[in-house]
Amino acid sequence: MDAPKKPVPVVNPWAKPFWDAAREERFIIQQCKDCKKYIFYPRIACPHCFSDDVQWVPASGRATVYTYTVVESNAPSAFIPDMPYVIAVVRLEEGGVQMLTNIVGCKPEEVRCDMPVEVVFETLNDDFKLPKFRPAST
Amino acid sequence: MSKLKGKVAIIGIGEVPTGRFPDTAAIYHAIASAKMAIRDAGINKDEIDYVMPTAALYSPAFNTELVTCRVVEELGLKNVKKNCQVFAGGSSSTCALELAAGLIYSGAASMILFVHAERLGTGVTAQGGIDLFSTAGISAEWEVPFGQHYSAVTALSTMRYMYETGCTDEHMAAVCVSNRKWAELNPNAFFRKPLSLQEVLASKMLSTPLRAKQSNMLFDGGAAFLVTSAERAREIVEKPVYLLGEGGSVTHFVYSQEPDVSRFGWAKAGKMAFEEAGLTPADMDIAEIYDSYPIFQIIGFEELGFCKRGEAGEIFLRGETWPGGRIPCTTNGGMLSQGHTGAGGAVALMVETARQLMGKAGERQVPKARFAVETAVGGTYMDAQVSILGTEIP
Repeated sequence: MDAPKKPVPVVNPWAKPFWDAAREERFIIQQCKDCKKYIFYPRIACPHCFSDDVQWVPASGRATVYTYTVVESNAPSAFIPDMPYVIAVVRLEEGGVQMLTNIVGCKPEEVRCDMPVEVVFETLNDDFKLPKFRPAST
Repeated sequence: MSKLKGKVAIIGIGEVPTGRFPDTAAIYHAIASAKMAIRDAGINKDEIDYVMPTAALYSPAFNTELVTCRVVEELGLKNVKKNCQVFAGGSSSTCALELAAGLIYSGAASMILFVHAERLGTGVTAQGGIDLFSTAGISAEWEVPFGQHYSAVTALSTMRYMYETGCTDEHMAAVCVSNRKWAELNPNAFFRKPLSLQEVLASKMLSTPLRAKQSNMLFDGGAAFLVTSAERAREIVEKPVYLLGEGGSVTHFVYSQEPDVSRFGWAKAGKMAFEEAGLTPADMDIAEIYDSYPIFQIIGFEELGFCKRGEAGEIFLRGETWPGGRIPCTTNGGMLSQGHTGAGGAVALMVETARQLMGKAGERQVPKARFAVETAVGGTYMDAQVSILGTEIP
């Protein structure tokens, strides 16, 4: 039996700029103009100071692996062909910002906590590129 | 701090065995459990004026029946003012107990029936269960597209915890062994054969470092309890199980937004509950800590203050949490051994807490148990919930 198609992100309208940029391989996040804190995932108001004045800014794409796992069995149907694959929570260089991603570009057993990584975009379909991370080049 | 300390009590409990029952309708698990709770308390069924069914995940159609008063009609309850679903995923029972306490203390309700039933063991396939839990409570925008699911969530917390504390696979496995020791004595548990550390450590790797026997399995089951005022409770039963303290801390929706995936909000929630009760972990005769996987039982145990961070694994390994041990922990066997029934995991744990305090736990009865702490958490470990219960009001 073929695996079902990969799930695509169900995009909230206020997050559309993130996915539009990702399709062009640009990595952007929000920043609050009032308290200056970085925001991810995108919000309709700053989750720190509740200001409405939030803007999109480029992010460095540099991060560290906060935690990770290598999925070896019992994956969701659409991901069975990908096993083993790495799921990780990364902490972006822009402080206070975490995201879930996959670590690519190395063997799964080479991933470690606190390892430096950098963003790379992987094509999901014509509409989406997903931000994934690979070991940092330097 | 709430004003609920000692104001309400659990007076009756019911539970059907956890397992695979393909020929049993889901509603049976609800009404059989509720009937047992009513008989256990010895009340007239028509004293119940408020019914709180929690949600069943395996079937939206069945859940709609729970919402639309089927339990009330099946049991022939004649004086029910409201049938209102209370659902917070895995923390439903704890959240419902506090809501029930508030309603009773305010005079809006007098006798509340909380009930759960689920058929996740036979109502969905094994892969269907994995797929259900790769979307339920997981962000469709920020996590589902990366292959997130509950084994991975657990593995991510376990990995970071082990990295920060130096704890080992053996420590994680020790939780499974401890829970199984209790389940061997629990007729309602699904897994009752002795389990060794070696068996756990030799089981299939799911998501590193999480292995198959460190993972719960989904089953059918049901449980129920009755809550009333402390005054009424004393008229009805010999040993009311009083709510003495409660605390909670909602920390995230999207798992990757949790700032500390190896602690969560347990310390804050525990402090709130213990302060309200005027008790400390040292006063507890039993720690009914929500498991679902070993890491969450270890984190809960430590963050509540039963030991320092990084020490729980050794305590489980030494058998201090086993039957006859210094601090009995998760005495029904938890979801790892009794089995996972969705929102029912912590309903079973709440019922077990009351059962132990009532002195009705049979072979696994903790002698002279007066005070116990019970924890619950829903979603991707989004809301640390803590209740302190006891047969005395300190």
